[in-house]
Amino acid sequence: MDKKEQFIAAIRENEGFIYKIAAVYTNNADDKNDLVQEIIYQLWKSFDSFNNQSALSTWMYRVALNVAIYQLKASKKRVVTISIDEQLLDHLQVDDSGNEERWKIFKQQIDSLNLLDKAIVMLYLDNKSYDEIAAIIGISKTNVGTKLLRIKEKLRSQINKNI
Amino acid sequence: MELDDFKNTWNTQNDTATQQNSTSKLIDQMTQKKYRSKINRIAYPEITGTFICLLAAVYIGMNFYKLDTAFLKGTGIVSILVLLILSVISVLSLRQLKMKKDFNKPHAETLKIFATQKLAFYKLQKINVTLSYLLLVTIIILLSKFYSGTDITNSKYFWTFSFTFGYIFLLFFSKFVSGYYKNTLRKTEALLNELQS
Repeated sequence: MDKKEQFIAAIRENEGFIYKIAAVYTNNADDKNDLVQEIIYQLWKSFDSFNNQSALSTWMYRVALNVAIYQLKASKKRVVTISIDEQLLDHLQVDDSGNEERWKIFKQQIDSLNLLDKAIVMLYLDNKSYDEIAAIIGISKTNVGTKLLRIKEKLRSQINKNI
Repeated sequence: MELDDFKNTWNTQNDTATQQNSTSKLIDQMTQKKYRSKINRIAYPEITGTFICLLAAVYIGMNFYKLDTAFLKGTGIVSILVLLILSVISVLSLRQLKMKKDFNKPHAETLKIFATQKLAFYKLQKINVTLSYLLLVTIIILLSKFYSGTDITNSKYFWTFSFTFGYIFLLFFSKFVSGYYKNTLRKTEALLNELQS
C-alpha cells in the first residue's frame, strides 16, 4: 500500500469527524468547503511527521481541530480558492428538515461555548473516551470530566432559558 | 434537552458524511491543481500594503525639498515615519502569518498560541487604525503642497474640517471599533486565563 492509499484509508476512517468539524466551525458552505480542503491538505502535508506516539485517529483529530482554529482567522479575510467539484463537498447538505432543525439548535448552543469547550463537546459527542479527549486536547483526564460537567450545566441552563 | 440528546444529531451528521467516497478524488484535485494553503494566500494584501506604504514614503522623501516651512517639514517627517511604522506592522503580521505552524501540538497548546496571537493582533490593529487616521491628515497637507504649491494649513476651513472629521472619527472609533473588539478581546482573555490556570 503506497503513502497515498494509506492516507486515504486513514482519512476514510475519520472523515465523518472532519466534515463535522468543518460544519461546526463555519457558517456558510464556502467556508465549510475551504476548511475541509485545508484540513485534508494539512493532514496530507504532515502525514510523514506522524510518529506513532499516539493513535493515528488521535493525531488526526488534533491536526483537524488545530487547522480549524487557524482557518477561523483566515476565513475572515475571504480569498478565492481553487474550485473543487461541488458534489464532492456536499456531504453536509442535510436533506432531512427535522435533522436540519436539530442541527441548527445544536450549532446555536455550541457556538456559545469557547473554543476549548467546543472542541471537548465535539469529541464527547463523537464518543471519545475521557482518556482520548485528554490526549487530543492536552489536558488531564480529571480536567476533561470537570469541564464536561460545567459545559453540560451551562448548556442545560441555556436551553431551559430558551424554552 | 441535555448535551447527550445532541449525540443523535451529531451521529446523524456522521452517517450523511461518510456516505460519500470523495477523499481520493479530493486529493487528486489538490495535487493536480497544485493546491496552495489558503492560510498562506491571505498574505498578498499584506504584501501589497507594505509595498504601497514604502512607495509613498519614497515619494514624500523625493519631494521633501518642496516643503518650505518647519511645520510642513515636520509633517513630512511624521508622514514618512508613520508609513515606515505601518510597513513594519504589515511585515510583522506577515511574519506571524507565514510562521510555520505545528498542527501536531495538543489542541490546548494551539489555542494558547492562537489566543496570544489574537491579543497581539488587536493591539496592532488599534495602532494601525490610529496611525492611518494621522496619516490621512498629514497626507492631505502634503499633497496640497506638492500639487498646488499651497499650504492648506493656512486655511481656517482645513482646521475646522479636520477637527470636526477627526472628532467624529475618534468618537466612531472608540464607540464602534472598541465595542466590537471588546467582546472578542474579553472572550479571548478569558480563554487564555482558562488555559493558563
